[in-house]
Amino acid sequence: MRLLRVEIARYRSRRMIALLLLLAALLAAVVAVKSAWDTRPITPQEAATARANADIASQRSDIKADLEHCLADPEQYLGTGTTAQDCRDNLTASPRSYLPREPLDLTGTLKGNGLGVALAVAALLVIAATTFAGSDWGSGSVVTQLVFEPRRTRVWVAKAGAVTLASAVVATITIGGFWLAMYLVAVDRDVPHGSGVMSDVGWHGLRAVLFATGAALGAFALTMLFRHSVATLALLFAYSVGGEILAFLVPVDNVGRWTLGNNVFGWLETRMEYFDPTARCARNGACSGLEHISHLQGGLYLLVLLAVAVVASLWTFRRRDVSGG
Amino acid sequence: MSDLVVETRGLRKTFRDGTHRITAVDGLDLSVERGGVHGFLGPNGSGKTTTIRMLLGLATPDAGEVHVLGQQLPGRLPEVIGRIGAVVEHPQFAPDLSGRRNLQLLARTAGLPRQRADEVLEEVGLARRGRGRYRRYSYGMKQRLGLAAALLKQPDLLILDEPMNGLDPAGINDVRELVVRLGESGVTVLLSSHVLSEVQQVCSSVSIIAEGSLLASGKVADLLGESTAQTRVGVSDTRQATLLLTAAGFSVTPDGDDLLVQGHDHPEEITRALAAHDLYVTELTAVRPDLESFFLVLTGHRPRPTTGPIDAPAAPTDQDDS
Repeated sequence: MRLLRVEIARYRSRRMIALLLLLAALLAAVVAVKSAWDTRPITPQEAATARANADIASQRSDIKADLEHCLADPEQYLGTGTTAQDCRDNLTASPRSYLPREPLDLTGTLKGNGLGVALAVAALLVIAATTFAGSDWGSGSVVTQLVFEPRRTRVWVAKAGAVTLASAVVATITIGGFWLAMYLVAVDRDVPHGSGVMSDVGWHGLRAVLFATGAALGAFALTMLFRHSVATLALLFAYSVGGEILAFLVPVDNVGRWTLGNNVFGWLETRMEYFDPTARCARNGACSGLEHISHLQGGLYLLVLLAVAVVASLWTFRRRDVSGG
Repeated sequence: MSDLVVETRGLRKTFRDGTHRITAVDGLDLSVERGGVHGFLGPNGSGKTTTIRMLLGLATPDAGEVHVLGQQLPGRLPEVIGRIGAVVEHPQFAPDLSGRRNLQLLARTAGLPRQRADEVLEEVGLARRGRGRYRRYSYGMKQRLGLAAALLKQPDLLILDEPMNGLDPAGINDVRELVVRLGESGVTVLLSSHVLSEVQQVCSSVSIIAEGSLLASGKVADLLGESTAQTRVGVSDTRQATLLLTAAGFSVTPDGDDLLVQGHDHPEEITRALAAHDLYVTELTAVRPDLESFFLVLTGHRPRPTTGPIDAPAAPTDQDDS
């Protein structure tokens, strides 16, 4: 516990880290404010303008002609199983189509800004964790620390504990704060916020906090392994971006199941589906088929990556010689 | 090994450098007795820092044994680390924190009270600058902070790797006095330095290594030899002076335009012997035993003198271009 407190103090004291954590909080706040502003209620004037525009559109001859064609044979126009009502729903100019913005939708936010906040917070916590470990190696202060506590497992665990704890707190505050703000806005605007959608939000928030915390711990472990923050960030970049590119080049069925990005979204999104552009799709011509990655599958994938990084990092830190920065 | 604070036997360490393996420490047998200041000397790349890193558990030996404060390393290091203070290579601290905060965190790591940080800052003359950020410190201040960290644990064994580097003359004097005081108070100080005049001033014993192996070890006085007192004599007729002094039983070696004379108890014996034959000296300088000369000869950086003690100036050779 003593070492953990020391490492937390070290983590808190780094200016760069403080800046990154402040940025994470600021970012979540800005996105929350922007989400609320972009979905603000329609003013009476905006509603009147939308109605007027819809009226004008409904008088257009080309739109009228389209509707008549559709009503004559809905299935030929819109596809199998469609009815005349579908023609009216789809081809009649509605005032709603001319509104300047959509109202707040928590389910939509889960796939949009909520996901963005989770990823941005995780990215900032990853940079903070690599900065924390990288600075120890860069300055050589890890040598001085080991002269005071030579039990390397304890040192590693204390540092990892500090990163994990601090990241969990920051992720909870930022991601939790974002969703709390969205919930309050939804209540204020009487937007649907029943137990169903709030349950989705709650589970997403928990998964997002776990993801951001795990990502920070993984980045810390990699930096302790490479002893350099830039090496860690380069590897993460190469693995995420390079992996995606490779996945599209490798002629293997459903290779998207194994890319970092898809698994991250599989873990974070309420239901993640992705298009498989590889061999099977091209061969069978079934390119409209979507693949699905469950939370469990995505979570397991990320957990295995984290475990590999942690074990390799701890093992090498215990065994490799340590020299100054 | 009861009275040995540091003892290594057959210590060996190799590093990989591309496709080659470099032997940094090669069967080093090092013994440091309890108390006093022990100099640890060697040319650059001789394996001093690697040895120190192995003594502190920062590097693992490939072979050999290390005992520090009676405990075998690296397995028993946690039991003795609380009694060891060290500065390795150069001071290394968190740059964003103040010197004082760095020390406080190290004190907490070792389970020491926070006020120890202020005490050691006072001890190394950094009390007024302790609250400044470490990254803004001059190199001399960083050295002082490194010393302060090494003193935090009130160690029985203090390992200092080039502690005078970057210090101004006043700083060097402060550190010298501190090291001597610690040595006299019963702390064993292992001082690695290339400033041999400093080492000679503060160390009671030395170990000299080169290419990872021990070349010489012992009390400074013993190594330099008590009987090596020499006097440089300037005289108008060196040939006649050589004959006279040799006849008087002294050992005489030419040294440029002068003579180096050995085998006397006091320089006045030389002047008396020459003046008795109307030869008067123009210069008479005591040549003190010199650790630097001893070191340079021992490490192969200066040819061994053909006559006289090892620390005597070398006889000129064809290869000697200095």
